[in-house]
Formats: sequence, C-alpha cells, structure tokens
Amino acid sequence: MFGTLATWIPSFFLLTLAMKFWMEPKGYRLRSAIWKLVLAAVTLAAIFFSYGSLKGIEPGVSVLVVLMSLKILEAHTAREFQVMVMIAWVLCLCGFFLSQDLVIALCLLAAVVLLLVALVQFHGPAAAGSPGSFWSPVGVTCKLLAQAAPLVVLLFLLFPRINTGFRFEIRDLSSAASGFSDRLSPGSIASLTNSSDIAFRAEFPDRKTRPPGPMYWRGVVMWHCEGMEWRAPYARGSSEPGPAQRGALPVQAPGDKAIRQRITIAPHGAHWMFALDRPFEVPPKAILARGNYLWSVQPIRKVRRYEVVSSPEVTGKDLQPRERKEALEVPASISPAVRELAQSWIAQNSNPRAIVNSALQFFRTQRFRYSLSPGEYKKNDLDQFLFHRRVGFCEHYATSFATLMRLAGIPARVVVGYLGGEYNDLGRFFLVRQADTHAWCEVWFPDSGWTRLDPTSAVAPGRASLDLNSFLARRVASGEIEARRSAFVTQLTQSAIFTNIRLAWEAVNYEWDTRVLGFDADVQESLLASVGISSSGPFLLITETLGIAAALLVIYAGWMQLRTRPRVDRVKALYERFCRKAARFGVRRNPWEGPSDFSRRAAKLLPDESERIQKISNTYIALRYSPKSPALVLNKFAKEVNAFAAHRR
Amino acid sequence: MNTHNFSDPSGRRMIATSGAQERPCVGRLSTAGVTDPGYNLPIFRISLFANRIVPADHPGVTDYVDAFTKQICEVIVGKNQAVKLAVACLLARGHLLIEDIPGVGKTTLSQALARSLALAFQRIQFTSDLLPADILGNSIFDRGEQRFVFHRGPLFSQVVLIDEVNRATAKTQSALLEAMEEHQISIDGTTYELPEPFFVIATQNPQHQVGTFPLPESQLDRFLMRIELGVPDRASERAMLLGMDRREMLKELKPVFNPETLLEIQDSVRKVHASSALLDYLQDLLDASRQRHTTGLSPRAGLALLHASQAWALMNGRDMVLPEDIQAVAIAVMAHRLGHDIEQPGQSGRTLADNLLHSVPVP
Repeated sequence: MFGTLATWIPSFFLLTLAMKFWMEPKGYRLRSAIWKLVLAAVTLAAIFFSYGSLKGIEPGVSVLVVLMSLKILEAHTAREFQVMVMIAWVLCLCGFFLSQDLVIALCLLAAVVLLLVALVQFHGPAAAGSPGSFWSPVGVTCKLLAQAAPLVVLLFLLFPRINTGFRFEIRDLSSAASGFSDRLSPGSIASLTNSSDIAFRAEFPDRKTRPPGPMYWRGVVMWHCEGMEWRAPYARGSSEPGPAQRGALPVQAPGDKAIRQRITIAPHGAHWMFALDRPFEVPPKAILARGNYLWSVQPIRKVRRYEVVSSPEVTGKDLQPRERKEALEVPASISPAVRELAQSWIAQNSNPRAIVNSALQFFRTQRFRYSLSPGEYKKNDLDQFLFHRRVGFCEHYATSFATLMRLAGIPARVVVGYLGGEYNDLGRFFLVRQADTHAWCEVWFPDSGWTRLDPTSAVAPGRASLDLNSFLARRVASGEIEARRSAFVTQLTQSAIFTNIRLAWEAVNYEWDTRVLGFDADVQESLLASVGISSSGPFLLITETLGIAAALLVIYAGWMQLRTRPRVDRVKALYERFCRKAARFGVRRNPWEGPSDFSRRAAKLLPDESERIQKISNTYIALRYSPKSPALVLNKFAKEVNAFAAHRR
Repeated sequence: MNTHNFSDPSGRRMIATSGAQERPCVGRLSTAGVTDPGYNLPIFRISLFANRIVPADHPGVTDYVDAFTKQICEVIVGKNQAVKLAVACLLARGHLLIEDIPGVGKTTLSQALARSLALAFQRIQFTSDLLPADILGNSIFDRGEQRFVFHRGPLFSQVVLIDEVNRATAKTQSALLEAMEEHQISIDGTTYELPEPFFVIATQNPQHQVGTFPLPESQLDRFLMRIELGVPDRASERAMLLGMDRREMLKELKPVFNPETLLEIQDSVRKVHASSALLDYLQDLLDASRQRHTTGLSPRAGLALLHASQAWALMNGRDMVLPEDIQAVAIAVMAHRLGHDIEQPGQSGRTLADNLLHSVPVP
C-alpha cells in the first residue's frame, strides 16, 4: 500500500496522530520552538539516511508526511487546521506519484472527499457548539463535488498532457523494470511464475474469437549465445537500437490471416512491446527491430496503448550472410560431449528438418522433466542439464535447444515473450501476466525461413494451449506435480464467485488503465481533432480549456437565470389567456383591475362558471403573489385555464 | 400620564376573552382560510404568524385586529372603511392625518384608537400661538439642585393626538418632524428617545377655513395616510343620535391589545410577502406619478404604500400582498402627497390619485 516509502514514515504519521488524540484533551501541545526544530532536524536526517538522498519522489513525499505529522502535534488554531487540510490534499496528489493503480486512486478519492467533509463540517453551522452530525456535511460535500464534476471531466479531457520538457523521473529504470530482461539466464523465467503482475492486456477488435492455435506473444529476440545464457544483441540501457537492429521489413501484407490486436501494455521500463507472433504493421513511435520484434523508441514507463497487426505466416525467407554468421555463433566453452551430441545428429541425417526432429526426439525420450524449480544452473552447465539432471523450465529447453541447433549448423535464435493469457469475458480482453512469460526457439530453414519451434512442448505437451496457471492446475489435479498452495487456497481461488469477482475487478482495472491512464497526449489530440479542434501547443490548449470552461459557466448562469424567469411569464401568459376568454363572453378585465376584484366581478357576471373562475384566480394569486409558489400547480393551472368556458363555444 | 401603567400580566387573557365573546362581529373582514378543493392548496393563510405571536389556544392575528376594528366601529358609527384605514396605518407604524370639518368625530376616533390599545395617550390642541417648547418640553432651573432639569412635554407619549394641527405656525409644526420620523427629540444638544410604539394622530380642518396654516410638504410626507371621515349616512347618524353619549362610550372602552402585542403585530406586517410581480406594480405606480406630476411620489411614499398595503393584506388574513391591497390604501396614502401639484391646481389630491390608479395597468 505504501509502495516504496520507507516503512517508518507511515508508522511515524500514525504515531503522531495517536499522540494528538492523547494530547488534545489534556491540553498538551508541541509549543517549544527548540523542540520543533530538533524534531524536524532529526526526522529529516532520518529520511536522508533511509534513502541516501533528499532528492526524488519518495524522499520528497516522506518529507511532506513527516512535516505534516509534526504539524499535527503543533496545530491548535483554526488556521492551522485549514493548512493541514491543504497539505493533506497535496499529499493525496503525491500518492499518484507513487502509484497510479485503481485501488490507490479510489483510496485517494475517499481521502479527498473526507478532507472536504472535514472542512465543510469545520465551517458548518454546527462548528460552534456540538461536533455536529456527520451526514449533513457529507451531503454538502457531495453537492459540491457534483457541481465540480463537469469541470473535472472538462479538465481531464482538455487539459494538456505535457510530454516534453518539464517531467518527473518518477523512478529510476531498475526499480521500474518488471518482467524479463534482455538477458535470459537459467531460472530467470521460472522466478517470474509466482508474479501476478500484469504484463499487458490484448483485445482483438476485428474478430469475435481468439485466433486459432497457441498465442505466442513475441517480446524480444536473443541472438548472443553463451551456452545456457542468451542475450539480446545490445547492451541494456543503450537507447539506440542502431541500424543493425532493423530487420528486413516484410514486403507483402499477409492477407486475410492478419490479426489486429489492441494492446495495453503495463510499464516495464524497457523498450520492447508485445505482439502476436509475428508483427508486421508497426504502431507509431516504434520500430521493427532485427528479429521481427517491436521496439519502442522511448522506454515504456507508463501505460501505453497501441494497435498492431500480426500474421501467423512466415514472412521474409532471406538470411543475410552476416546474420547467418551471427545465428551460428557458439561460445568456445561448450563441452565436447555436447558438441558430439550435435555431430551425431548430423551424421544420422544432414537434412535440417531431420536434425530438428532428432533433437526433439532426444528431449522427448531421454526422461526430461518440466519443473518450476529445476535447481540452479550456470551458463556453462549445458552438459549437466542435457546428460545428468534433465530438469528444466522453458528457458532451459529453449536455450539448450537453440545452442544445440547452432552446434548442428542450423541458424537458431531464442525468442522471449509470453504464452497464452486469461480471457476476461466482461472486458473481452486477454490478460497476460508476468507468470505467462515463456521462451522458445526459432530456427532457419532454407525453404521456409525462420520457423518457430517450442522445445518445451516436447517435454510438457499441452502447455502451449493453456496459460501457465491453468496448466499447472491441471497437472496438480492429475497428480503429476506437487501443489504450490494449500488445497483450501486452491479451491478458493478456483471457485466460481471468486473467479467472477476477480475477472470483474480486472475488467474495471483494464478500463481504468486504458481510458483514464491511457488518455495521453496522442489520444487527446485525436479526440480533439475528431471534434474539429486542432491544437498547436499546450498553452493554446490551456487557453482553449479556460475559454470553454468560462463559456460553460456563462451558459450555466444564463440557464439558472432563465429557469426562474419563464415560469412567472408563463403564469402571466396563462392568466392573460383566461382574461381573453372571459372578454369573449363580455367580461373584460380593466387593465388596472386586480385578479381578486376581477374574479369577483366575473363570477357575478358568469354565474355558471363562477367556481372555475374562483379556482383560476386563486391559483393565479398563489402562483404570482404568494411567498412560496408551488411548482406542481402550474400544469393544473394551465389545464384549468384551458377548461374554462370550453363548452361555451 | 405614566407610560407604563398598563403592564398588566393578564392583558392577553383579557384580550382573548373579549375576542371570543364578540365574534362574529359586524365589521368582520374576510378572514376565513379559503382552501381550494381542486388544488388542495391553502391560498389565504395566516400560518406564517400563528405560532409566534399568539398563544396556541388562540385564534390568529386577524382576530385581534378584528376585535380591535370592531370596537372602534362601535364608537364611530358608519365609517368602517375610514376606521379600517386608520387601523392599517397604525399597524404599518405610520402616522395618521384626519382631515375634515369640525364635528364629524375626528377626535373621538383618535381617542378610541388610543384607548383600545392601552397606550399612554396625550392630546395637544394646536393654536396659532403655540411654541415648540410647549409640545417638546422645557429645561427649567431647579433651585434645589442648582441645575437645569428637563421637563418633558406632551409629545413624550405613545399615542399623541394633535388637534387642529394646521392652526399652529410653521415653526411649531416643524418641531414635530424629528419626533415623527426618527421617534426621538433633540433639545439643547440632548437626544431623548420616544416610547415605542409612537403614533401621531393629527386632525386638521380643510385648508380653506379661516386661520389655518397649510402643512408643509415635508410634514405631509411624514403622515402615512390622510383620511377623511365625512358626515355619516342617515341611518348611522340616527343610530348615533339614539345611542349612548360618545364620551361615556370612550370611558368604557377596554384595551384590546397590550403594547407588546401591537409591536409584534407591527413586526408581522413587515413580513407579509410582496412578490416581485407586486413590486413591479408598485413601481409602475410610482413611475407614473413622477411622469404626470412635477414632484410625483417620493421613495418614502413608495415605502409608505408598501407598508400600508402589507398591513391591509394582514388585516384581510393574507400572508401576501395583492394589487387590490395597494389599491385599497392608495388614495389614503397618495392623495395628500399629490395634492400640491401646481400644474393641476384645480384638482384635489384625491382625484389625482384616483386617476393614477385607473391609468396604471396591473402587470
């Protein structure tokens, strides 16, 4: 909940709050200036030692919280109370620097509302005497918020999203990075299987069902082989992929098998973006890196939404000689036993497909096991894995398989991404978690180009068609592996109600991420363009926003004015109609005659209508002259005027 | 006369019984709460004041006012309209000017009003040699105390009847100005508050009579209403001739209000609702008077018209003012203010006011 804040900060706040409740009835307060200075200095020093700096978001927020806590001890006057409410509002804003989750947003909303309630109650009529009721300030607050809501919506839609220049470096890259990295070492994916963090969500806007076949979400392609450890070809942190990274762009559109996806990616701090195997239409601000994967120009530090088109068909069959050389490189440290294994396959049959089949056969028949906890491997432990322990997770199989392929003279590379995903019926999207991270291989055949091969499926058949949790659940049910959780928790998490609640919550979260957090400058610009406003800069946009706000306020004020006006006018018009009708029967109202005088005279002259005349004029008097003119009567009045003398025609 | 000798704790009880006995009275005004069956909407209601002024077991404010009006009508026979206007003027905290020939009951009316209110009453007969000090009071040197002591004049009272106000000179008349408007008197640099309520009833003879000094406009404007009594009709006069001696009747009058109740009723008068449509009408009247006449009606006259019509509405049992209320009090309020128009010398103020009413449409 408190995210990356040091634990003692919120504890300190709660402690001072408790102190205040104890001190206030006794009249104690933090009065001495020296004590205040000492406390402030001590706490600031503590913050400095906790974070090693006073710069940055977390130390900044901590300073605010700590000073607020000290203020609580000191505060006594009305002015200080108001200052505290203001600071608390600023703190609410700071909450968003730490996390933009829906849960946090709801908590902060509750806090903002309660602060407003406190302020309303403080200024309310009850403030002088008793503490007053709770609900009437809440009512006032709700009214205030309801009145502010249109302005909030307007500002949300129109206030410029500032993308350049002034910008918070909210976190440094290392702490923001989640999921896999550009280095695939044994155990790195298995360590992610317990993570319930969301990697991304995907929708298929063009189709009603999921695409056929297993969903391999391509992430990053690894070229550098170091035995059981593979690396993407550039060092981490270098933001430029360089010209060498650019792969040959696929020329032809793959036709009707194309799959359009709308993907909302959670911030992971790295550059890669995900798409179904394999993307060929690149979203804006991204390029297609060498190996046909998406590469964002900017590191992804906030929720981003993009559309991408993939084709299951293989495109581009050429392999540059330089690439071919790279795709065959193996480290010299590979043990002779492993080399011999590869050589033995070539000796059997030199056809690449036959070699691949022998390798898969090797994994299938040599009692390899698929396990989440395969034990530790070093990057040179290839022969350990292949000949002795034979327990591994997907990355072990992918890396060792690709290395073997290279040893056998077949260009190979490792792809890291995600496999599967959970379908959310409510939100109609697939949710892909970090636990679904997967690694597989691609080998190059002269006739068909780069072809996907998943050695894991040779060991654990069925994994490819399920997301990891369902796969594991099935395996647990059939007794193949041991359950990770107790039976009760498993049962609970798989019960229908729990699942539905979870899916609904995820759907709401998705809406929050896409519609609120994902409403960035680009979406805003396209929205504005669709209504005909073309913005040429944030400051113009601010002016426009203020202009529209002012216009709305003027319209609102005018409407309020009008709402009171025409009622009187309508009453008058109806009464004049009544007078015209009466005049038709010879009872003309003198212009100076008051309604009660006239009704008396008219009733005398039109005795058979006298009751109605009395009724009309009484109602007219009530509507026109009484202190509280009842709103409901107006329509009845109109009816009565219409009915007057209707049968006399 | 001592001001506070009416602080009888049983004052209210006394009023209650008198009100209960005398209903239904002759001059009863339309007070029934008219509810409309079709709309189920009480159109005329008194509820606004019912809880505040009157004890819960008692009928409404209107019954007080009715009893009061009726008691005076018994003394002044056949002049119901004039009496009602006089009561309205009293309830609106205005001063009353009664103009008529001698012998029609001006003094009797004012005495009846004063006695029925249980207020301290003083009568001053104005003559041409009357001086301001005679009505306001004098500082006289007290030998024993070796200083000047202020002796309060007859104006220090709650109801002051000024008989034949236009027989005094302008100097004396103007001595009344501050008392009437500010309810205070300043003499020798000291300001004395007048008792509350303070109500001046002045009578005057028509101005063509010998030995009169016409009241200045500023003085006239301070009178909320000017009413005329006129000779009674034949039947009323016969009743008067047959009935008890008026002086005896006056002596037997019992107070209907105590002063506190009067003050509360006066407060409720100001709370009678005047809607914006009604104020439109009132301002139309004021504008029209200013267009037709050189001076027209002053803003004070506008306030007077509003307050008088509020009182009239309350007397008729309504919590809102109708154009009819304005029209009912308009002549009494406007006539003496419009009567000075030098461009229309032949016309009496009454006629001018009447013309005004018939030329301004009710919006």
